[in-house]
Amino acid sequence: MVCPVGASLPVPLRAEAEIEVNIPQSGMNQRLVLRVPGWPGSAPGQFVMLSPGALAAVPRTDPLLPRPMAVYRGAGERIEILYRRSGRGTALLAEARAGERVGLVGPLGRPFALPAPGERALLVGGGTGIASLYGLAAALGGGATVLLGARSAVDLMGREDFEALGAALAIATEDGSAGLRGLVTELLERELARGGPARVYACGPTPMMRRCAELAAGAGAAAIVSLENHMACGYGVCLGCAVPVRAGGYALVCRDGPVFAASDVAWEGLA
Amino acid sequence: MSVAAAEVDTSVELAGIALRNPVLTASGTFGYGLELAPFVDLRRLGGIVTKSLTLEPRWGNPPPRIAEAPSGMLNAISLENVGVDAFVAEKLPALPEGVTVVASVFETEIERYAEVCKRLGGVPRVAGLEINASCPHVKSGGIEFGQDPGVLATLVRAARRATSAPLLVKLSPNVTHIAEMARVCEAEGADGITLINSVQALEVDVERRRPVLSNGLGGLSGPAIRPIALRMVWQAARAVRLPICGVGGIASAEDAVKFLLCGATAVQVGTQNYLDPAAAATVADGVAEYAARHGFARVRDLVGALEPPPRR
Repeated sequence: MVCPVGASLPVPLRAEAEIEVNIPQSGMNQRLVLRVPGWPGSAPGQFVMLSPGALAAVPRTDPLLPRPMAVYRGAGERIEILYRRSGRGTALLAEARAGERVGLVGPLGRPFALPAPGERALLVGGGTGIASLYGLAAALGGGATVLLGARSAVDLMGREDFEALGAALAIATEDGSAGLRGLVTELLERELARGGPARVYACGPTPMMRRCAELAAGAGAAAIVSLENHMACGYGVCLGCAVPVRAGGYALVCRDGPVFAASDVAWEGLA
Repeated sequence: MSVAAAEVDTSVELAGIALRNPVLTASGTFGYGLELAPFVDLRRLGGIVTKSLTLEPRWGNPPPRIAEAPSGMLNAISLENVGVDAFVAEKLPALPEGVTVVASVFETEIERYAEVCKRLGGVPRVAGLEINASCPHVKSGGIEFGQDPGVLATLVRAARRATSAPLLVKLSPNVTHIAEMARVCEAEGADGITLINSVQALEVDVERRRPVLSNGLGGLSGPAIRPIALRMVWQAARAVRLPICGVGGIASAEDAVKFLLCGATAVQVGTQNYLDPAAAATVADGVAEYAARHGFARVRDLVGALEPPPRR
């Protein structure tokens, strides 16, 4: 279920989610389907915190902290998450089998705002950042232009799902194994060169998002980014996910984001 | 012997603060309470200890501010808070009635600590104060206020003069003799002590050959420090008559009971709030169930009920 953007956000909950599917995809990618009792739905760009260890058959405190994961899509009490096995937390999550439970808190964070009338929506996803954009692409129907980038073809997440939406899709891989050999930002540059009002939505590695912001600014287009960061809680109390902002001081990715206007972010202060 | 959990008297009195149960949330892990309201009825908690408040609003450290560690985490947030006046004007009134609030006080100089205490002293919704003594003391070359008995004495004395509210002092574990620090607090008129704060620690990014945290050092919290905290509570309880609020890695009712048995009158749940926003309420329920299962009609009778170690 996708909540209409702009409507009041669903009230987040803490739940014991049951794993229905947790299977490897190409590369190090993994697909997870959870049944979340009482799930209130989510808006595109929102995320959940998952604790794979706390509810395991033998509870584990190492790794201790929950991991933020974008809600890829949802229907009723089921949500789907695409993640990459890249560290200890995701390795532990990947070990969990169907029928086991994980702690879940969500949906969290502020969602994407839809483009203004007449604006082209240019969605730019890099690596695991792709997973944050599917909900927005789905909300825009076939109307979005989707640009996906990854190191290699096997790393691309959700390619078939974006194709099924009917969105205009272009791909870039660093090794040339799919689409353009190069960076996804090169695809964005071409799209922006076509002119006309556009709004760029970017999620991926920080250098990619920063480059998207520069390209959009150069073309007079608005740019929205969805930032990733380490966080311990996801609901604004650990203060661990601070990012520097142009206005001075810090914003929290979990509470004030993860979606930000690119022009609000003090990019030079991001690690 | 068995008692129904619902009939167990869970109330305790901590340093002159009446609590409906002995489980509070630790400072810096529960915001100002409002953030967690969607997830848990705050009135199920014994109380909440706020994010530490300073005289002026302050930004914290640049990122990275947190790092994971085995069964724990390091943090170096440093002072980020809305300031004492905004807390009183905006955060406190937004909390539901019936939530017991202990305000944590953090500053960089003795006089400023005292001023924050004064501003909180007459606020009816503030049930008590908790002095965070783990701030680096600039005039002592950056060691924590709580690491030097003389500096700690000066701090507690100044806070005591500044307020007649129930006064807890949260001690640093980064000392050789915790009992000595506890005795300083008792001598200077504190009403209770909270221990332990996070354990000073360092994590290194090997690929970049530099500390993970922008601050370099951070504070270790979570289950990794629980046995250390338990030991320090036990030592302090034998050294002073002051009530003790035990904190450090508590994640379950069994963990909380260990602290009560070792002499803590109440406990605080900290890092576990990050994994489960309802953790403290769950721990509180579990403590009552433990008491019932073991035939204690009053939770407060668990305090200090540790038996001697087994003899061969």
